[in-house]
Amino acid sequence: MTLLELEHVSRRHRHGAHEHILLADVSLEIHAGELVAIWGMRRCGRSTLLRVAAGIEPPDAGVVRFDGHRLRAGSGALGSGIGYCRRGAQGGESRGVLDELVVAELARGVAGEQARAHALHALARVGAAESAALAPHDLDAAEAVRVALARALSSEPSLLLVDDPIRGVDLAQRDEILMLLRSLADEGIAVLMATDDATGLSGADRALSLSGGVLRGERTPELAPVVPLRRAAGA
Amino acid sequence: MRSPVNWALLGLVIQRPGYGYELVQRFERVYGDSIELSSQSQIYRALDAMQGRGFVEIRSVRSTSATRQPKPRYHATEEGLRCYQEWLVAQVEQERSRSRLFASQLAMLPAVLDRYEQACLDGASRTPAGGRDEAEADGESEVSDRLTLEDERLTLDARLMWIQYARLQLSSPTAPSKACVR
Repeated sequence: MTLLELEHVSRRHRHGAHEHILLADVSLEIHAGELVAIWGMRRCGRSTLLRVAAGIEPPDAGVVRFDGHRLRAGSGALGSGIGYCRRGAQGGESRGVLDELVVAELARGVAGEQARAHALHALARVGAAESAALAPHDLDAAEAVRVALARALSSEPSLLLVDDPIRGVDLAQRDEILMLLRSLADEGIAVLMATDDATGLSGADRALSLSGGVLRGERTPELAPVVPLRRAAGA
Repeated sequence: MRSPVNWALLGLVIQRPGYGYELVQRFERVYGDSIELSSQSQIYRALDAMQGRGFVEIRSVRSTSATRQPKPRYHATEEGLRCYQEWLVAQVEQERSRSRLFASQLAMLPAVLDRYEQACLDGASRTPAGGRDEAEADGESEVSDRLTLEDERLTLDARLMWIQYARLQLSSPTAPSKACVR
């Protein structure tokens, strides 16, 4: 089932007279339970792609559909079945991690004790239970990613958009983050992640590249590997 | 010694001495994806050849019964270790030459960059998150697998960056070189 569909999406950024193309006629489909990873270097447009896919930023041209419905400019990720995960997206630094998540639950209309239970469950789900009592600024890179994932998952999204999940994460913990994303996809969530490190492509169902706003790597018959035909049994 | 099987096997013996059949099993586990053996006897022939060159030696023999053949245990010699180190270092230069040749040939046919990139992306996505299947691996193999995996990932990362750079340069060959900084 196609959850996210980008159809001929373009996005430009203007600096005075200078125009920078961030997305150039990008088309992409993401299905339920699929982990799709986009590799690109800095300023290639990968974060823009995620924001446009989340409905946070409108495309200049083209259409973005989520679950069959066209995303309108500014419709945003919240409450739409889309979880948007970016480190450092938390609110006040004065609250602890658990409080941050509880506040988010309360804002969504979840009642007191249930909000706390939801928040604890979300943290446990991503292996961040031990971070509950910490302040956001005390988290290391891997913990911050897990907490950001917990926050994004709290609304039980069917599509998860994850920006740079392994940046700054040490070698020993990168694989655990990638395995977590893989397991979320295996649970049926569509996961679209962006990374500037080829390690982040590990375990993905599809790996694409983005440079100069051009998305490459979607399989076409011309590029598909030739698989030798097997001889039929008994032939 | 030119056979990649022999050098790979010498590496295993240096890592840990072993009996012939044990080395066959380790060889298949460690190099199974990279080097195909024509038969298991290739390992025994390689051990004989390396013994002839003085790279390995038999220090002990295990006899299981009067009727069965004794099992020699192979150890690496100082000479074997020295030659293996020299061969490894030489590989760096050979790899560099191969990479330069490959890059030159790719630059002659920019249209193939997309296919090369696709192969790199596919390769990167096939590297398993969480390392290779370690169910049967011993501690040494596990470390070796992880190092191999990281080497593969870093190589693919570098190749993907090179492709972006090549694309930029080939699209405007007269443009001044721009730094390709992450």
